[in-house]
Amino acid sequence: MKKKGFFSILLATAMLGSMVGAVPAAAADEDQTLTVWCWDPNFNIYAMQQAEKIYQKDHPDFKLDIQENVYNDIETKLITAATSGDYSTLPDIFLMQDYSYHKDVTSFPDVFTELTESGIDFTQFSAGKLADSTVDGKNYGVPFDNGATIMAIRSDIVEEAGLTTDDFKDITWSKFMELAKTVKDKTGTPMLTTSGGSELVLEMLQSAGASPIVDGEVKIADNEVLKQAVEVYAQLVNEGYMTEYTDWDQYIASMNNGDAAGVINGCWIMSSVQAAEDQAGKWAVVNMPALDDVDGATNYANCGGASWAVSSNCKNPELAYDFIKSTFGGSVELYDDLLVNAGAIASYLPAAESDVYQEASDFYGGQKVYADIVDFASKVPAFDCGAYYSDVRSALTDVITNVVQNGADVADELQTAQDTVEFNIEG
Amino acid sequence: MVSTSNAKKKMSLQKKHNLIGWAFLIPASLLIFVFCFYPMFQAILLSFKKGMGEAQTWAGIANYSRILKDRTFKQCLFNTVFYFIIQVPVMLILALILAQLLNDATLRFKGLFRTMIFLPCATSLVSYSMIFKSLFAPDGFVNMILTKTGIGAVDWFQNAWAARFVIIIALVWRWTGYNMVFYLAGLQNIDQSIYEASRIDGATAFQQFFKITIPLLKPTILLTAIMSTSGTLQLFDESVNLTAGGPGKSTMTLAHYIFNISFVETPKFNYAAALSVFILVSVAILSAIQMKVGDSRD
Repeated sequence: MKKKGFFSILLATAMLGSMVGAVPAAAADEDQTLTVWCWDPNFNIYAMQQAEKIYQKDHPDFKLDIQENVYNDIETKLITAATSGDYSTLPDIFLMQDYSYHKDVTSFPDVFTELTESGIDFTQFSAGKLADSTVDGKNYGVPFDNGATIMAIRSDIVEEAGLTTDDFKDITWSKFMELAKTVKDKTGTPMLTTSGGSELVLEMLQSAGASPIVDGEVKIADNEVLKQAVEVYAQLVNEGYMTEYTDWDQYIASMNNGDAAGVINGCWIMSSVQAAEDQAGKWAVVNMPALDDVDGATNYANCGGASWAVSSNCKNPELAYDFIKSTFGGSVELYDDLLVNAGAIASYLPAAESDVYQEASDFYGGQKVYADIVDFASKVPAFDCGAYYSDVRSALTDVITNVVQNGADVADELQTAQDTVEFNIEG
Repeated sequence: MVSTSNAKKKMSLQKKHNLIGWAFLIPASLLIFVFCFYPMFQAILLSFKKGMGEAQTWAGIANYSRILKDRTFKQCLFNTVFYFIIQVPVMLILALILAQLLNDATLRFKGLFRTMIFLPCATSLVSYSMIFKSLFAPDGFVNMILTKTGIGAVDWFQNAWAARFVIIIALVWRWTGYNMVFYLAGLQNIDQSIYEASRIDGATAFQQFFKITIPLLKPTILLTAIMSTSGTLQLFDESVNLTAGGPGKSTMTLAHYIFNISFVETPKFNYAAALSVFILVSVAILSAIQMKVGDSRD
């Protein structure tokens, strides 16, 4: 009897739980409340809270219901809603990683609300970043944090090798190899560290304005720029100028304990670099090297970052548009606060003109890093990552592994990757 | 009159018992049906369709013929079968030996040893993967020992075979104790008098083990073999957490690949469902073979 009672209580609790779970979705119907999904209390959740405060100044009735969801959960929930055809579970606004934008907008168009005509001024965002959330010329996202690629370098180590950090500015990869050789010979320290994967190769590709998918056609096999990028990567590893770590924590540790003299990644990596407080004043930020002899090669790319999307379940789209327009799409005040308190660097270009962005950073030896990064961001070539970006990334990771670890032929491996991605698309 | 009413009462009592039995069965059966069999049935249906979300059309066996052309699938199948062939026998033999050792009546601190060997499988899959990751890290404990002993450090996660080796070691570490408990339970059920009788007849310890223990443990060995087969073919956590499938895809398991197809790459649920059905059928066939081989009735 006791057991039976226990089970009925269990069952009742489970049912109650499912009922309570259904309430927040219903609450979104209220006039001036918007539901938001994002994931980091110190970063994007904080950003939404500040945005709410700013918007409440003119709209006292306005309220946000910010729900913390890990990013993988957000994506799973989107897929669940789309495959079941029940969109009522979606919030009004959610944050999406840029790399899944094309995939999800193409696969599940009914999840999103197109923002092209929403009144938000998209010209004020950096083009490279905006391209991630733009599908077929239509805007589906408002850029949030900046992912401009930077090369952070240890000024004390390169100076020990008789170089200055300025030597690394606006250079090509062949020049970089020479400099890295000097650093390696004189200090024994590799110039770079990486967590493996295909990010760096894709950043090189983007920096040259090239893309693995052109007009919907996979262009991996006969892509000279891509071939060169893979070769540069392999050379970096084989010559010992770059150490590969498969584990993220070890990768971060390699920057903090001086196992590498620098790192190339999206500028969000700075928070990890800055974790080593004892190295204050010993770091500098420059742009990444450009590919040699490629038309349109630049020193700028983008890696990571996220954008705000409005769901198709939004009951009050006008309110959502106006809220985003007056905060993430137009408030320098908001971005100033986020830079200081959350370390979020804006993709909103006017923010870079504010005084806060002009301040010198002690950690980076008095460099005006924020202004520099926003300047980098404005020069990033647009990059169409397409709906099959995750497939491309995965196939390229295999290419890099086989070339670097097994000395496989680059052209052959790229052909295999081409076949794999085409196979995935055709399915 | 009296006797018939008695009979009636008896019947109703038996019926009542039956009904109670059914009542106990129904909740669990219903839950299993709703949460296991219904989704399985839906997945099988899904594997014969094509399309996204609600716009599904019948595709015949297109998803299954696609499996044959899929190179990544072949790589993952190879990895999974490799783990299966190496890890399952090693683990089961090890578990059997440990169980035999710990079943010794004269052994002291038996409880302590049993707990220690069983403990790994009480740890969470993710946390133990993390621990192995740090043990086999470039500057981890294992490499430290290898360097100290003069063998030299190994790039465990950069080399395909080394990474597969780490996964197998991790699997053996975690699951040996689990299988050992089954064997211990089985050993308790073997009558000590059989061993005594064989000793009087002059049987050695080896003869006892191979002629008495193993034949009498056969049902348990069969059970653990089937469970390990099914478990290894559905291996997921180690591939995701320990090696992330890398380097490249050289340690990725089928279940990990299915997850990738569904949630990481551009989603192809129908194809993923077809692969799941493939694993289901493989487990069923392998289990059937094992049952046939292990069947003691001739």
